[in-house]
Amino acid sequence: MTSTIRFQFTKGQEVRFLSHLDLVRAMERAIRRAGLPMAYSEGFSPRPIMSYSFALPVGVMSEAEYADFRLVEDWDPAYFMEQFNKHLPPGLRVLHAERLPEGTPALMSEINAALWRIRLPQAEQVAVEKRWQELQAVDSFVVERQTKQGSRSVNLRPLLFGVPRIAREGEAVEVHCLAAVGNQGNLRVEELGLLLGFDSAQALITRIGQFKKVGSAYYPPLGNRGCTWTE
Amino acid sequence: MDKRLVPLLPLVTKPARYTNSEVNAQHKEWTEDRVTMALAFPDIYDVGMAHLGFKILYALINSRPDALAERVYAPWVDMQQLMIERGIPLTALESGRDVADFDLVGFTLQHELSYTNILKMLDLAGIPRRTQDRREGDPLVLAGGPCAFNVEPLADFFDFVVLGEGEEVIQEILDVVKAAKQSRTPRQETLRELARLKGVYVPSFYRPVYDSGRFQGLEPLYPDLPARIEKRVARDLGSLPFPEEFVVPYTEVIHDRVMVEILRGCTRGCRFCQAGMIYRPVRERDPEQLKEQVAKLVSSTGYDEISLSSLSSGDYTQIRSLVKDLIAAYRGCGVTVSLPSLRLDSFAVELADEIQKARKTGLTFAPEAGTQRLRDVINKNVTDQDLKEVVQAAFQAGWHRIKLYFMIGLPTETEADLDGIAELAHKVLAWGREFRTSRKRPEVTVSMASFVPKPHTPFQWRGQDSLETLRAKQEYLRERLRHPGIQFSFHEVEHSFLEAAFARGDRRLGAVLERAVDLGCQFDSWGDELRFDRWLQAFREAGLDPVDYAQRSLDPEEALPWDHLSPGVDKKFLVREWELAQQAIPTPDCRWDRCTLCGVCFNLQVANRLTEVGSGD
Ligand code: SF4
Repeated sequence: MTSTIRFQFTKGQEVRFLSHLDLVRAMERAIRRAGLPMAYSEGFSPRPIMSYSFALPVGVMSEAEYADFRLVEDWDPAYFMEQFNKHLPPGLRVLHAERLPEGTPALMSEINAALWRIRLPQAEQVAVEKRWQELQAVDSFVVERQTKQGSRSVNLRPLLFGVPRIAREGEAVEVHCLAAVGNQGNLRVEELGLLLGFDSAQALITRIGQFKKVGSAYYPPLGNRGCTWTE
Repeated sequence: MDKRLVPLLPLVTKPARYTNSEVNAQHKEWTEDRVTMALAFPDIYDVGMAHLGFKILYALINSRPDALAERVYAPWVDMQQLMIERGIPLTALESGRDVADFDLVGFTLQHELSYTNILKMLDLAGIPRRTQDRREGDPLVLAGGPCAFNVEPLADFFDFVVLGEGEEVIQEILDVVKAAKQSRTPRQETLRELARLKGVYVPSFYRPVYDSGRFQGLEPLYPDLPARIEKRVARDLGSLPFPEEFVVPYTEVIHDRVMVEILRGCTRGCRFCQAGMIYRPVRERDPEQLKEQVAKLVSSTGYDEISLSSLSSGDYTQIRSLVKDLIAAYRGCGVTVSLPSLRLDSFAVELADEIQKARKTGLTFAPEAGTQRLRDVINKNVTDQDLKEVVQAAFQAGWHRIKLYFMIGLPTETEADLDGIAELAHKVLAWGREFRTSRKRPEVTVSMASFVPKPHTPFQWRGQDSLETLRAKQEYLRERLRHPGIQFSFHEVEHSFLEAAFARGDRRLGAVLERAVDLGCQFDSWGDELRFDRWLQAFREAGLDPVDYAQRSLDPEEALPWDHLSPGVDKKFLVREWELAQQAIPTPDCRWDRCTLCGVCFNLQVANRLTEVGSGD
């Protein structure tokens, strides 16, 4: 009997420099070590049937990545989590897992917003705050985005949702902000840096939430699915 | 890993190369009583992680409570620059400690074009390049691997060198170094101790003698030193430990899979092939033991591919049953089996449906030479008829792409032999059109390397063709191979030339190497990194002629810089093979035929060891 398990996992410090491809490969190997009863695709080189939320850029960490695994047996999600965690490499950790009801939309089609935590040197606080003051007054912030097809202009302003929280955190300053992710509009982390005026390559960035945004309410793709965050 | 590298990671390509939290990496504590060894691979992580020898040593050393091993790779150019700018020395992956803090730093010598990387790594580590400049407290720098059989160009840089198989001698080395560490024995005395171990060579204890620019021989500095250092060799692979875990990299590396060594050594006796001489005799591992190793490795790594490695995997006596058993055992969980050094023969075709990788990448066949005559000269035991049958069968079985490997510039080669290469390529294409069952158009890929004379082979005396000759031969072939169904490539002649010079080099080349590194040469095997003009400048400044090293044909009577480094094969056997080659007389494989008296078995008290006597091919 097949089943699908959706789980939330971390991408910690130890594995922060993995590309999405590296991450998927590391998952596949952990699956095999853990002996998960994965469903495999047909064909010459069968692959485990699994899907992930939007790829994280290299160097960025996460406390809220999501994946759906298709199993050929009906495993208890708690047991799945326990077994898989025993074999995942350091930094990758399942936090929650649950059985996915048939017909649940795919992660990629549901998720449209991400919550980011950006850790910056204290000295940058003033600049970011000043930039936010400026941004509040405008509804457009246009940059050139490089894509495979060439470069095109994108207005980043509407891709930032709500009001960022900028606060001192020990020796550093932390910015929490909600931004668009996904096919309907996507704010890249380096663009987030452009928008809020920091260097994304030198910041410690963590994705701490991914949501389905409806109006100003944010619903995570897992758990009680109640609204957990509002703008 | 070294914390100082963290801020650099966002600035370099493939940062995961420098991080260290891989599954199965061993992070052992640095305690006073432990001997510490850095396994230093003179190329980047992506290449070095594939090296089976280091995987074996890593597991073996770390299994000793009184020792630890960590990995070190050459940082790529971008990372090197940042490290130099910020004064960060080369560190080991696991602990992030300076390489200079280890008791032992061991390099593997896989090919000549990695030599500059060794010096570069020593520089980055802040370890003096030359043995004579190292002080008490500096690591002992050692080397092993195939090129150790002529380590002379590197003799000034290694405190000691290991000849042959490492599994047993490493234990003895660790014992000596541990005792020396506890009793604070001076470096020189420790080296004297090490020189007493079988298979260990301490280059600084031997002085080369030259006469009017020609090498005459080596003089031992102490009377108790052996005049010839014999390689270490295990009688039975089954008695050697094999890792149950491999470190599993995150970033993409070559040969990223479970590897088990099904046999060691090859006695086919190709006369240009160094591996075929220095790894003798043939020793096969027991299939049941292999299956156990595979099972442990698959479950500890989670890899989806099992590779059965050896110099010539199709020669393993029970290859059919082994492959079929493994395929049957792992088919269900998406794990495939591959045979990287499989000769194209009927067996390969038989497995057409089962070895999926082969279908994707095409089948490889290495006739090495274009005519039967030249194949007899080089002792490549393949006939036109074999080739024809197998290629036809392969096309019939659904393959559409065949790869052919050749060597140009082989001894006695004539225009007819070059024509033979082109004709063979066209013939294979024609067979493809006639016999294919695949809908895809047949394709032939021809890859051509230049002959490089290698020490301890019957062809060691024969000089390499001049660069102009090799280029002209390539041009000649290029014209004859031009066809839409044929793709072809040549090894760069400059690479082969430097390889030949260092393969047959003596100690004087150490100065050239140092100069080349100072001029910015490194990663020479990486196509566009080779700076040939600077190499020539380095030779010029050292007053040495690379042409003399690479291209001069030597007299079988003259002393060779590697005569004292013995793989157990007698020089007189090589001379005899060289003579037979010139008469185009092949020599059979002693594994299935009679002993051809190469000397290994007698000299080193070993024997060919097949798992199933008499079943042959
Ligand atoms: S000594 Fe004889 S049997 Fe042993 S490897 Fe040499 S040729 Fe073969």
